Amino acid sequence: MSGPNEDKNTQLSSHFFGDLLDSIIVDVASECHRIAKLGLDRNLEEEEEEMRLSVQARARVADPSNSSETNTKYVVDIFGQTHPSVATEIFECMNCGRSIAAGRFAPHLEKCMGKGRKARLKVTRSSTAAQNRYSRGSPVSAYSPYSNSTSTNRLSNGTPSVAGEEYSNGTYEEPWNKT
Amino acid sequence: MTRKHSVNRPPTPDGAEDQGNEPILQEIINIKLIESGEKERLMEMLRERLIECGWKDEMKALCRAYVKKKGRNNVTVDDLVHLITPKGRASVPDSVKAELLQRIRSFLTSAAL
Repeated sequence: MSGPNEDKNTQLSSHFFGDLLDSIIVDVASECHRIAKLGLDRNLEEEEEEMRLSVQARARVADPSNSSETNTKYVVDIFGQTHPSVATEIFECMNCGRSIAAGRFAPHLEKCMGKGRKARLKVTRSSTAAQNRYSRGSPVSAYSPYSNSTSTNRLSNGTPSVAGEEYSNGTYEEPWNKT
Repeated sequence: MTRKHSVNRPPTPDGAEDQGNEPILQEIINIKLIESGEKERLMEMLRERLIECGWKDEMKALCRAYVKKKGRNNVTVDDLVHLITPKGRASVPDSVKAELLQRIRSFLTSAAL
C-alpha cells in the first residue's frame, strides 16, 4: 500500500461518502416537505387541540352522572339502552399508534389520515334534501364503523366540523341505527 | 490536492485543466460504483444505519420544528435541505461513518485502482 494512493483512497472515500450522505439528506428533506404540505404530520396545534378534546371527553366520561344504566339525561335507544356520552374505550390508532378514546376516534382519524375536510369530501353525498330517513342504509360513509355513539354528542358539543356538515348533507348514518 | 498541474499539458476540451484529472477519476469510479450496483447497496446501508441510530428522526424533528415555525405553506424543499445539511453532516455517528468509509475503500481497492 503506497502512501499517495492511500491518501487518494481516503480522499475519494470521503468524497463518495459525502455524496451518499447528501443524497440521503435531500431524500429526508423531500419526505419532510411532503409530509408538511400534505398535513400528514400531527403538528402542535392539532396535537394540542386533540389533547384538549380528549381531556374533555374523559372528563365527561368520568362524570358520575354518566352511568351507563338508566339515565334521563340521555336518549334511550330502541333496545332501551343508554350509551355513555362519549365512548369510553381506549384504542390504539392503527395509523399513528396513539391511544385514542373511542369517542374521539372519528375526528382523530380525520386528522390522522389526511386533513379533515378534504378527506370527508371524498365521500359521496346525496342530495341535501334527503336527511335522516335516507341515511339509514348509506353504504358510503367512511365512518360507519367508528362513529357509533359520537354523533349526538357532536351535535351537543357544537363541534361544527362533524355535526353540522353531516346533518345538512344527509348521507351520514343515523347514529342510533348503526349496528 | 491537485498533483497534475502541468503547464505543458494541453487544455482539455471541457476546461477542467486546473483540476487535473481528478474529476475524471471520480467520474470513472462513480460509474463503476453505479454499474456494479455497489452505490445502491451503500446507499441502502447508509440509510438503514442512519435510521437505526436515530439520525433520521433527529433530522425529521428539525424539519418539523422549522415547518411549525414558518407555517407549512411557506416551506420549500430547498429550505429544508439547507436546514439539515450542516447538522446532518456533522451528526453522523463515527461508527456509521467508519463502516461506510471502509466499505467504499474496499471497493476502491478492489475495483478501481
